[in-house]
Amino acid sequence: MTLQLVLVVAAALFCVGLYGALSQQVVVMVMMGLELMLNGLVLAAAAIWLFLAPRPTGEVLLLVVLAVMTLEMAMGFAVAVLVHRRRGSDMTDMAGDLAG
Amino acid sequence: MPPSLPARARGSAVIVVFLLLAAVSVVTGALVFVVDSMARATYALACSFVAVALALLTFGLTYLGVITILMMVMEMAIMAVFMIMFMGMNPALMPMDMVHGKRAALAVSVALFALLVVGIVVAPWPGAAGSASTASDIAALGHTLMGSKMLVMMSVSPIMFATIVGGVVLASGRTRYDRFGDDLDHPAQDPTPGGVGR
Amino acid sequence: MSPHLSLLAWALPVVPAVAGTALALTRPTSRRVAHGATLSAAAVTLALTIVAAATRPSTSTPFLLGTDLGLRVDGLAAVVSVTVAAVALLALTFAAGGERDVDQAPGRFGGLMLLFTAAVLITVTATTLPTLLLAWEVMGATSYALIGFSWRDPERVSSGLVAFVTTRAADLGLYVAAAAALAGGHGLALADLAHADPGPRTVVAAGVAVAGLGKAAQLPFSFWLSRAMVGPSPVSALLHSAAMVAMGGYLLLRVPDLLTATWVGPAVAWVGAVTAVVLGVVAIAQRDLKQVLAASTASQLGFVVLAAGVGGVTAGTTQLVAHAATKALLFLVAGAWLSALGTKALPALRGAGRRWPLVGVVATLGLLSLAGVAPLALWASKEAVLASAVEHGTALYAVGLLGAALSAGYAGRVLAVVLAPLESDADRTADARLDTEEEGTREVTTAMRVPMLVLGLGAAGLGVLVLPPVSSALASAVGDPRAPAPGLVELLASAALALVVLVVAWRVRLPEPAWARDWLHLEDLMQRAVVEPTDRLAGSLARFDDEVLSAAVASTARTTLRLSDLAARFDGDVIDRAVKGLAHAVRRAGSLARRPQTGQLHQYYAQSVAVLAVAAVLLVLVR
Repeated sequence: MTLQLVLVVAAALFCVGLYGALSQQVVVMVMMGLELMLNGLVLAAAAIWLFLAPRPTGEVLLLVVLAVMTLEMAMGFAVAVLVHRRRGSDMTDMAGDLAG
Repeated sequence: MPPSLPARARGSAVIVVFLLLAAVSVVTGALVFVVDSMARATYALACSFVAVALALLTFGLTYLGVITILMMVMEMAIMAVFMIMFMGMNPALMPMDMVHGKRAALAVSVALFALLVVGIVVAPWPGAAGSASTASDIAALGHTLMGSKMLVMMSVSPIMFATIVGGVVLASGRTRYDRFGDDLDHPAQDPTPGGVGR
Repeated sequence: MSPHLSLLAWALPVVPAVAGTALALTRPTSRRVAHGATLSAAAVTLALTIVAAATRPSTSTPFLLGTDLGLRVDGLAAVVSVTVAAVALLALTFAAGGERDVDQAPGRFGGLMLLFTAAVLITVTATTLPTLLLAWEVMGATSYALIGFSWRDPERVSSGLVAFVTTRAADLGLYVAAAAALAGGHGLALADLAHADPGPRTVVAAGVAVAGLGKAAQLPFSFWLSRAMVGPSPVSALLHSAAMVAMGGYLLLRVPDLLTATWVGPAVAWVGAVTAVVLGVVAIAQRDLKQVLAASTASQLGFVVLAAGVGGVTAGTTQLVAHAATKALLFLVAGAWLSALGTKALPALRGAGRRWPLVGVVATLGLLSLAGVAPLALWASKEAVLASAVEHGTALYAVGLLGAALSAGYAGRVLAVVLAPLESDADRTADARLDTEEEGTREVTTAMRVPMLVLGLGAAGLGVLVLPPVSSALASAVGDPRAPAPGLVELLASAALALVVLVVAWRVRLPEPAWARDWLHLEDLMQRAVVEPTDRLAGSLARFDDEVLSAAVASTARTTLRLSDLAARFDGDVIDRAVKGLAHAVRRAGSLARRPQTGQLHQYYAQSVAVLAVAAVLLVLVR
């Protein structure tokens, strides 16, 4: 049982999530990808904390990460609903307002 | 000298269990973007989260694991609601494939994964800086939370509350300004009158 | 000094100047109007000079830095200004009597003469060097215009030019003198020139002397006077007897202390003496009445210069006034015969004095005075000059005496011709034809006779100037109380000498050397020695200017143009292109920078992942 092993698993989770975030068109699915990335992040952070510096402080960081996940979900859904209301779409492709 | 786990988390049984859970979490994570319907994708994501949370539990991170399970199950339920709301269809039955730039996304992800694996393997990880007895984990965490990290936890809750309010404001189609006018002094104008039938 | 008197001092030159300017500008064609205006102005001027001579006004006004425009009628100025104004009035009266040249443009003639008179009056009364220079230049310019009065004849214009350029070249001495006086540090007032520091003082004296000798037609400048004889006779009567030539002598008489304080004084005296002799010889050799008179003028002015050089202001002034009367008379006589007989060649004038008896009488009177026959004007004045000279050495006296004898010689020659028995116009010899120069009128008008008569009285009577008490009055007036009176022996001896020479010249044909006939070839000499080298120098300088300076300037301009072309090309090809290229690159970079801004969320994700990955790798590798 080594740190590297856990980190590789976390990296795999992160990259799977990244693939989703990059490839999905529907806002909800993109958010799922983001959640998966954060999932990998939580695993990696927990492992690093546990293996390298097992003090409660690191656990607090993880709790903050979990809180950020929920905040991200909430804001994401709020924006998705807003876009859906205004434009009748839930595709990221339709929200190209930032195009330079 | 490889970094070590707490005593409880050593041993081949733990490794086997971890590898199993890891495989479950990665595979279900991948399934999220493979399956046809959003409902299945949601369940797969939930599975992935739960598997990771269980892995945390095997490491002895009881509090974190439990919290993660609770949060993620809740979150997936909310996601399902949103999917039904947006799609307006039975998500379990309709096949769908809404992707763009699949190949590029795959390439980026694989490249990043390769990079990360190389980094993980090559990096000179330091040894363990002592080992905490996980028996008093939760108590220690509690003390930390109620002590030196009090500010963090106290600021998390108003932020969350503000986020919820902001999200509702963003997401609601008509606010009280739409209903009562700019100075909030008109009688309410609703497309369908609510209340008790007045 | 009451304001009226300072006003009078101003009026002296201003009246003729204004009248002359008005006449020269309006040019009335009516002879009556022109002559009337001219004569009135001249008469008023004469009256003013007489009043001024009685009241001695003076005035001054700030002019240039450190010096004033000052006019003062002192004793010397009073005598000379009255003389000038009187001769001017008489010459103009004569001119009104039907001079052919004058009648072409009576307005212009009168105007120029009056302007000239005004300039002379300023010269006479000037108290400072700048004032003098101002008038001196106007005098030169108007003399040029008057000598070349018949400007349709190129010969006359070029003669005027020769006269003008020669005197002008000598005038440079005055500018040098002014500069040296400034350097000498005692101001530019004429009275202060003698007080300058020794070094500058010598320069001042030399400069003034050169200017004076030039105007007075002394050697080596004499030849311009010969050329000046082409002008109308009234012009010669005024300019070449009483005014312009005389002003050269007057200038030297103005500054006796300055001259006698340095070696310049003796040098000037010798130049005068030598001129008196040499130009006397020249006068004997001439075959043209006006040329005789011109050479005689230079010779007689030699005595004035001689007197000035030895500090004999009284004697010099006497000679100046006496000569003015005598010579103006003779010029008018020559002019009268010229307009009557159409020639001024001596052989053609044979018997002219008998043809018009009155003219003949005054001409004889004038010639006798010129010869120094007692008791006429020039005899007396020359004796005064020689009496001043004898103090400064027997040699000077001897040379002066020789000059006096020579004047009797040429006067005798002329007398022998004009008083010869009258012949009929028919049997004239080939070289003595009438009407060679203009169509003679065969008459002498009243307007011509009147001034001759007056001047004849002057030529006869001005001998009183050397007799006491007049001489002492004059001496105290000109501020030269120690003027030596000529002794009785010298007076009688010179009178006898003059008579003897006169008789000899009458009877015997004197030698007429060619070098003297041609005024010592002075003009050719000057042409070769000064004019041609100057011309060549100017030519080479002009070539230098064209081929070096101008070429340098032009090539500088061309090079500048080429350089600026290069610079422009560099600007266009390099700098401009660089700027445009930079702008283009920036624009391209800008449009490139827009390309990642697709608005597509997943692409933003991919970009940030890439950036973070690169940053992380860099961090790991570089650290």
